Amino acid sequence: MSKKQAIKVENLNKSFGKGDTFVDVIHNANFSVDKGELVALIAPSGAGKTTLLMMIGCVNEPNSGTIWLGDEKVYENRWLTKETRKIRREKIGFIFQAHYLIPFLNIIDNLTLLPQANKIDEKESHSRAKELLKYFDIADKEIAMPSQLSGGQNQRVAIARALMNNPEIILADEPTAALDSKRSVDVVKMLKKIAVEQDVAVIMVTHDEAMLPLCDRVLIIEDKKVVQKSNIKEIE
Amino acid sequence: MIHLAKEDIKHTLGKFIVTAMGVGMLLGIVLIMVGVYRGMIADANVILDDLNVDLWVVQENTLGPFAEASRVHEDLKNTLKGYQAIDKAEAITFQNLQILNGNRQISVMAIGYDIYGDINPINPKRLIAGRVLRNEHYEIVIGDKTGFKLGNKIHLGRDIYTVVGITHGTVASGGDALVYLSLKDAQTLQFTYTNKRVQTDKARGIVNRDAHLVNTIVATINPTYNVDKTAKELRKWLHKSVYTRKQQTYVLTKYVVEKASKQIGLFTIILVVVATIIISLIIYTMTLEKIKEISIMKLIGIPNITIIKMIVEETLILGILAFVFGNIFSHLIYNKFPKNVVLLSSDSFMLFIIVVIASIFASFIGVKKVISADPTSAIGG
Repeated sequence: MSKKQAIKVENLNKSFGKGDTFVDVIHNANFSVDKGELVALIAPSGAGKTTLLMMIGCVNEPNSGTIWLGDEKVYENRWLTKETRKIRREKIGFIFQAHYLIPFLNIIDNLTLLPQANKIDEKESHSRAKELLKYFDIADKEIAMPSQLSGGQNQRVAIARALMNNPEIILADEPTAALDSKRSVDVVKMLKKIAVEQDVAVIMVTHDEAMLPLCDRVLIIEDKKVVQKSNIKEIE
Repeated sequence: MIHLAKEDIKHTLGKFIVTAMGVGMLLGIVLIMVGVYRGMIADANVILDDLNVDLWVVQENTLGPFAEASRVHEDLKNTLKGYQAIDKAEAITFQNLQILNGNRQISVMAIGYDIYGDINPINPKRLIAGRVLRNEHYEIVIGDKTGFKLGNKIHLGRDIYTVVGITHGTVASGGDALVYLSLKDAQTLQFTYTNKRVQTDKARGIVNRDAHLVNTIVATINPTYNVDKTAKELRKWLHKSVYTRKQQTYVLTKYVVEKASKQIGLFTIILVVVATIIISLIIYTMTLEKIKEISIMKLIGIPNITIIKMIVEETLILGILAFVFGNIFSHLIYNKFPKNVVLLSSDSFMLFIIVVIASIFASFIGVKKVISADPTSAIGG
């Protein structure tokens, strides 16, 4: 695995149910994502985008195959570590359709919760959080509650939260679905900027084809297979 | 350092406090129930403390006047006084009576004693108005619980008595107020029948010879003698049952208060179980309300132990807060109960330990929910 490669998936399979209820979702998926890349993952609803994302994110267990995250092989027909949550905590940042901030924690606490779980020094994590809030232009909101922020501001906090653990990978599940087109473009541009500036691999699930030109590559789930397209013209 | 439990409680403070107050009222009732039991024990000891005697001589093979009927001859006190070990000895009667105050029927326990004797059952510290009995007839000293005032007239048996003294805190084990009569009046009330009954008995050839009976002889012993040894000696020679103070206390608590204490104990256990179930359900509901946040926390990698700690801490805070409210509630209402309620800090401490243990148990159901929560459920994946 090259030093640039952040994600490598080989012969990954996932199915649900047995007998009459058997559904093959992902069949022999093979792809990789480099650091600094923003890759879009598109597919019709129910095709397995989130399932694939959750497998890469060590949340859902595949049936077979291999997953590399950075230098570490985390899955080869079974999880190679018992602490998949630790991998998530240390290597991956998650962004969701809604911001999913903890409503009873203020913004700074929402950001520093994960570093606290990683046993990172409180001063250090606070300074990182402030830095990120400044980066996202919401530095004055650190003691506000999520309910006091607008949808766009909350989504920026959610992105900041995903960056708090200096992740190698960001998995974004439809991060623009709840936003208008202008804000959607801003968020995707922001993700691209983060991918480049923070040297992070970003996989973004999206339904919005207007966002695809902003991405470096596109992965499509077609007939249970993951197909790589280098740009929007190939999709058309 | 982020305290998830503290922040969550702060977020829903009003709801949390109202919930704690509700559970607290339940715990307050638990404290009151225990207090009622303590009150019964305290009440049972009032007579023993006020009489402050070493020995109780009662009818043979009976447990004495508090547990069952006992009749001994009044002059037994003179026999007792003949013993070197005995310092003082007096005859006492105990009788349950119903007296009428306006339209209100009041249960009382009447204690008859020799007003010229060496042992006086009226504790001067408890006398809050008037005086002790000075005349051998038609005077009564009565507990303030009855509502009578000095100078009031009370119809008892065939005679009318005048209230000459009021006492406070003088109750029997059942919570009935104590009233004090001269021995002669008490004997008349207890052992003298109505004119009609006397006529009927005469016609049957029965002569009423019970007038010099009493229910017990109480005695103090000379300090140089051993109480237990003296009681043992008296049992040999008097053919009576003789109880020491310790034994009489045991009789009162074991035979008189035991059933009530079992009943109260059972109620208390049920209330604690109900409180635990309620706390469990509250915590379960609170966990369900947060399940999306919990799922997200699990998804982004927050360890289970951090989330479990939040649930257990919230349960403990709820339990402890409820305990504090329960204490305040019980102290606000305890004196509104008709029976004596004694709230002891040792009982509060015991309840605190139980609440802590019950809260830990109650948190299990929420913890189970946390462990089984699917991290992807919140995002619908």
